Amino acid sequence: MIGFDRVTYRYPGAQAPVLQELSLHVEEGEFLLVMGPSGSGKSTLLRCLNGLVPHFYGGTINGRVRVAGRDPVALGPRGMADAVGFVFQDPETQFIVDKVEDEIAFSLENAAMDPMLMRKRVEEVLDQLGIAHLRHRSVNTLSGGERQRVAIAAVMTLQPRVLVLDEPTSQLDPQAAEEVLDALVKLNHDLGLTVILSEHRLERVIQHIDRILYLPGDGQPAIVGDPRTVLGQVSLTPPLITLAKALEWSPLPLTIKEGRQFVKQYEAHQQRASARAPSTTEEGLPKALAISVEGVSFSYNGHRALNDISLEVRQGEFVAVMGRNGAGKTTLLMHLVGLLKPNQGRVRIASSDSPATLDTRQAAIDEIIRVVGYVPQNPNALLFSDTVREEIAFTRLNHGLPPVDDTALLERLGLAAHAGQYPRDLSVGERQRVAVAAILAAEPQILLLDEPTRGLDYQQKEALVAFLEAEKTRGRTIIMSTHDVELAARCADRVVLLGDGQVVVDGPARQVMSESLVFSSQINKLFRDPALLTVEDVLRLHRPPNRDTITDVPISGASLS
Amino acid sequence: MFHTLTWVIWLAAAAVPAFTLRNPLYLILILGASWIVYLALGRTSPVGRSWGTFVRIGVLFVAVAVVFNALSSHFGTIVLFSLPDTWPIIGGPITLEAAIAGAVNGLGLLTILAVFATFNAVVDHYQLLRATPAFAFQIGTVVSIAITFVPQMVLSAAEIRQAQRIRGHRFRGMRDLLPLVMPLLATSLERAIQLAETMEARGFATVLSPDSLEPTHRRAILAQVGLLAALLGLLAGLILLTFVAGGNAWGWGLLILSGAGMGVILWGQGRQVRRTRYRRARWQSHDTVVAIACGIALAAVIAGRLAAPQTMAYSPYPPNSLLPPFNPYVGAALLLLALPAAYRPTPLALRDSLRSSVSISENEQTNEPDGIQP
Repeated sequence: MIGFDRVTYRYPGAQAPVLQELSLHVEEGEFLLVMGPSGSGKSTLLRCLNGLVPHFYGGTINGRVRVAGRDPVALGPRGMADAVGFVFQDPETQFIVDKVEDEIAFSLENAAMDPMLMRKRVEEVLDQLGIAHLRHRSVNTLSGGERQRVAIAAVMTLQPRVLVLDEPTSQLDPQAAEEVLDALVKLNHDLGLTVILSEHRLERVIQHIDRILYLPGDGQPAIVGDPRTVLGQVSLTPPLITLAKALEWSPLPLTIKEGRQFVKQYEAHQQRASARAPSTTEEGLPKALAISVEGVSFSYNGHRALNDISLEVRQGEFVAVMGRNGAGKTTLLMHLVGLLKPNQGRVRIASSDSPATLDTRQAAIDEIIRVVGYVPQNPNALLFSDTVREEIAFTRLNHGLPPVDDTALLERLGLAAHAGQYPRDLSVGERQRVAVAAILAAEPQILLLDEPTRGLDYQQKEALVAFLEAEKTRGRTIIMSTHDVELAARCADRVVLLGDGQVVVDGPARQVMSESLVFSSQINKLFRDPALLTVEDVLRLHRPPNRDTITDVPISGASLS
Repeated sequence: MFHTLTWVIWLAAAAVPAFTLRNPLYLILILGASWIVYLALGRTSPVGRSWGTFVRIGVLFVAVAVVFNALSSHFGTIVLFSLPDTWPIIGGPITLEAAIAGAVNGLGLLTILAVFATFNAVVDHYQLLRATPAFAFQIGTVVSIAITFVPQMVLSAAEIRQAQRIRGHRFRGMRDLLPLVMPLLATSLERAIQLAETMEARGFATVLSPDSLEPTHRRAILAQVGLLAALLGLLAGLILLTFVAGGNAWGWGLLILSGAGMGVILWGQGRQVRRTRYRRARWQSHDTVVAIACGIALAAVIAGRLAAPQTMAYSPYPPNSLLPPFNPYVGAALLLLALPAAYRPTPLALRDSLRSSVSISENEQTNEPDGIQP
């Protein structure tokens, strides 16, 4: 179905080629996962399949590409449109018309298809993707997962033989991502459609894929093979696989179900793990209050987003606010920084510099942001300067702070090498960190982060985790809203679970996360033991306790550079 | 419910008299007819909510027109009160006739607004765009993309404003516009490029096969040269008609010739565009009935103006009577504009459409405020 023969591609103006001597053969009906760090050429490879590379991007390509018996380099994307369906990363920018049904029919209308046949195709596709109930809706009212399914439906109407998806779930929350990936698995199984997917969230698809193509980047050769073989050789893996590799389980378990088999043997070998559970919650003196939320309610368009929420956060605490989409996480964070004012109740913010507390209903926003820094979900909303350094200087200027040497801050965030670059040219993970730097430049005592891991790969996530842990030891109070269970398990002391605008559970991270089915980490699902949430927890028990390197367990090749 | 073309005909039949007539009795009839149509058919549509806003603006126009005309026009015999003559412009007698004339002018504007607001509430905008003639289909596509694009831009703008605000950004002068405009501009450009890529990947505009590209290209240039010539012809004809004495025959000849040439070229271009329509709305018997009714209304107005102009126009100033003249035949014909309301959806269909609009608003509610959702 797909044949790449020694393909080398170089972007216009680039010195080194992105793809070098790449050879790949994909059979009809195969489900291929493309993985690799950001910038390794995943998107480029996918765009070669329908001729967007080199027709849309320019550059020079060598070697032979064949897709469904055609040559995309000669035909270009228009000539490949009916053979290769392409779905992009961002669910917001793929729509041409406003109504779902019209969007799906759009390509067919332009291909001058017979109206009777067109109706039949549209109905089929609506059913295949389970979106018939959305047919009359406007795309602007859909959730991210629904939008991506509409985008898939829109390309499926041309009945392509290959479906190519470029990180279709990286902007989605876990539930929405699951909807999209399930739809893909169904298309692959039911129709025998060839699917080429690049994806960070391996946990969900790994049991359904046939092969993995790993692109290491930096001119190193690609690795192709079945999932177990490839995952055994690479470092960017989900916690289950990372642990299995560290404990040398073989064959590598891909699902929790497979992992449980090893756990049984392991536990018999190790005695009861919880007997030696590490007590990480050191009960010291109660710290001073940082933020107190007292009976806050907030309604928006007649919908009660927050319903009588009370919460106290102490200084130096790391709180993860979790809950499904629309549970009120972002609304709560916006209350903490005074962007939204409560209808009832109040939010008070304490500063360690002054004895008085700020009431967000009375205090000016400029006073609040001296104490509280808020990093919004989308770093693009923030970045506008020509260089990273200027972004930091802009925040300090706004706060009336003197200019400062920002090298230390940039180094902590692993951005020192990018100080002079245009922020929007950086990768998603780097842009996220520039946004954090722009907020931290004002030196707030409390840092709020809204979904900081959206769009990050494992490596970028590790960099973020390392940074957040360092900030925690420096005594900064951090409150983070997240869907990312693994992230919360790694860093948070405390988890606040919101549901329908109310606090459902509020307690120590270990306790909350081990009692939950949805909000528990992979490792916790594996061991079903509150003492074991992360890979480190298990390895700490596994290794002889007298070794000094306990806290420095090498995981997933974490690095900030 | 009705075909898009039916609504276009209705709009023409209601808007032409609203624009041309200044007789309050006829205007009130048109206003009433469009109100009835809105009540029967437009209230359940999502855009229908803006009807009230349009009408409120129209009422404001009436009030402004009354005050302005009463203060500035001092004709008439029924003096309400007088302002000192020394006051510039507004000084002098304030008459009932002037106030009434102002009210009639305002009523005209109000009627036009109500007619368009009703059309806006009842017509399916996407279908209307798809109904653009074939030669202009690219314009239709551009407009429909813009309609999809604008709500997203508004959301981004709000998001950016908030993000910069909590970074300590304050708006003090033009220089402070940069942190707001730059991210919006960059985001919009990124979106536009993404959209272009999507359309490319979906094979948009694959109408032509590569080997037929050459002759079509030449034909496109020919068509553009032809259009330009036709436009010049139209211009020359107009100049002959207005400025050159005795150029009437030549002028009309040129106008007709150029107009016909233009029509042929556009028709030819439209024929080259190959595309089909999904769910082409069918023309049904009730469309014919309403179209005929609208035709009668429009014909009655034109016939009235030709046959009995004194029953159509109105001016409150002496020597005319304050009471407007009225032609009952034209009045009855204008009432036909309310006919679409007779095809009010059955309660069952109405419930379905209500349900669909409710499900939309439920979905909106689950979103968190201020567009922070993906």
